[in-house]
Amino acid sequence: MIVKFNNRDPVYVQVVRHFKEQIARGMLEPGQEVSSRRELASQLKINPNTVQRAYKEMEEQGLIYTEKNSPSKITRDEDVLHRVREELILEAVDTFVTSVRSINVPVDELLELVKEKYDHQSDEEGGSAHD
Amino acid sequence: MMRYFKLVNFELGRFFKLYGVIIGITILSQLVGLWVVSNSYMERANYAMFEENLSPAQFVSDNGEMSLLVLTRTLWFLGPIALGAIALLFNIFFVWYRDWFGKNTFIYRLLMLPTARINVYLAKATSILLMVLGLVAIQIVLLPVESVLLKWLVTRDFRLDLAPAEVVSGFRELMIILPAGIIDFILAYGAGIMVIFILFTAILFERSYRIKGIVFGAIYVALATGIFLSPIILEGIIGTNYLYPMELLVLEIILGLIVSAASIWVANYLLTKRITV
Amino acid sequence: MIEVKDIKKKFGRKQVLNGVSFTANKGEITCLIGINGVGKTTILNAIMALTPVNSGEILLDGQKVTKQSFEKITFIPDAITMIPQMTIAEAMEFMDDYYDSWNQNRATELLGFFKLKQEDKISSLSKGNTAKVNLLLGLALDVDYILMDEPFSGIDIFSREQIADVFTSHLIEGRGVIITTHEISDIEHLIDKVVLLDEGIVLKEFNSEEVRESEGKSVVDVMREVYKA
Repeated sequence: MIVKFNNRDPVYVQVVRHFKEQIARGMLEPGQEVSSRRELASQLKINPNTVQRAYKEMEEQGLIYTEKNSPSKITRDEDVLHRVREELILEAVDTFVTSVRSINVPVDELLELVKEKYDHQSDEEGGSAHD
Repeated sequence: MMRYFKLVNFELGRFFKLYGVIIGITILSQLVGLWVVSNSYMERANYAMFEENLSPAQFVSDNGEMSLLVLTRTLWFLGPIALGAIALLFNIFFVWYRDWFGKNTFIYRLLMLPTARINVYLAKATSILLMVLGLVAIQIVLLPVESVLLKWLVTRDFRLDLAPAEVVSGFRELMIILPAGIIDFILAYGAGIMVIFILFTAILFERSYRIKGIVFGAIYVALATGIFLSPIILEGIIGTNYLYPMELLVLEIILGLIVSAASIWVANYLLTKRITV
Repeated sequence: MIEVKDIKKKFGRKQVLNGVSFTANKGEITCLIGINGVGKTTILNAIMALTPVNSGEILLDGQKVTKQSFEKITFIPDAITMIPQMTIAEAMEFMDDYYDSWNQNRATELLGFFKLKQEDKISSLSKGNTAKVNLLLGLALDVDYILMDEPFSGIDIFSREQIADVFTSHLIEGRGVIITTHEISDIEHLIDKVVLLDEGIVLKEFNSEEVRESEGKSVVDVMREVYKA
């Protein structure tokens, strides 16, 4: 697992975000155990204290839960899982809209373009998976 | 205490190869020397007897008898002793400076051992002392061996058999390293240990204050020597032998102990408070 | 906690440290940053009582450093502190002989981690491997605090990565670490705390995550600000 961290956002925030993306994409399933603090630190090559902080944050947000004497697990709470997905989509759309608005494209044309591009990219990804 | 013994063992181990070479050279040189010196003596004796028709007694009265004393006055015998002395004197400095210089910086390790740093100092001093004693022990063993060897090499008529003690007392310079009595032994080696301590402390002055430390070290050596020799110097100035020899001896022993203790105390201060890697 | 309080040091006429103060906590990686010759190594030496300071005080968990401290804190200088004629096995034996805190299991684990052969002579090792042995000899001690002087300088990229991996492993976890460097990029994500030094003083002491969080700045951003000012 290689994650490219930027240097300006807190690393723990980037770790939380990384987990959200994994959850949204279904790479991490509800109830699945997450790596221990130490394992994750060496996988991501970051400070164990940072991982600790990220886990604490995720616990507070309800993304993971810990039962006594067992490893932390991804939440089974549908609401939370749904919210994660929504949050990521909204965030991406926000960024997109902000940058596209400066060009003043009519929304219909934009949607058409988005659809076309999106299908095309999915085809490519699907195609390369067969190679 | 355990760590002190381990350190002594360790310091000995580090010098062991060179030490082995010195021992090897000493043994080889003395034995080969004895063989060479004896043979040349016998050759001369034979030549005198057969060519000049001298009797053994006449040859002996002209040339002296062959004994170990003859050997002790040759380079075969003195060379290795000088070599050992120089090597160990050199080692007094080497034993410290090699830990600071060179590719590794072993002094970091030594100073970071979980033991009093003075143990490092004492261990280094002990290792040198043990090596000196080792060389002396080898000399003590060698003399009787050489005595036996001499019997094989030189016939009875030309030979003067001497006990090891007689060999030593027949050769003043040898008495310093092989004193005849236990008191002499303790005095000679006590003074030797004191010299090691004084030099070690001077080295630590240099290692603590660097260039300024050379001056401090030199002053320390002068001061320590001055204190140790003060009764003798004073008597020289006054011009009379104020003290009986026995009194002088006791005073010197006390002063020697004081100077040694002071050297260790100063070294301890330098090692804990002033040393710099 | 390691507390460095207002230490000053002169080398001849040059004031190398002019009142340096900072703290380093257990369980955190504290990084001393400054260009070469700024006195980073001198600070580490002073903590280990390997060089005297002219004034100021250094405390380790509230106490002065004594011989007993060396079972609690260790220092990994930038050059190896073992005799080159020794094999790695002999070096480990030496450490085991003198330190109660030596942990042979961990040493063996580190041998594997760094892919070192214990029968190799130290003098025959590459620069990178020598640095790893040096690190091994320090890390295999069960001590609370580890000081490292420029662990990444002058070695190849793969050795650097391997050494960086140490910082995210259980080998460091829970211990207090102070490392010095003049090059932050290898370890920007690894460190908890940064102490920026220049001209013998601490220009800034900060927590790297806090600065990212509250100011949106990277460690390098802060360095740029501080050193340009």
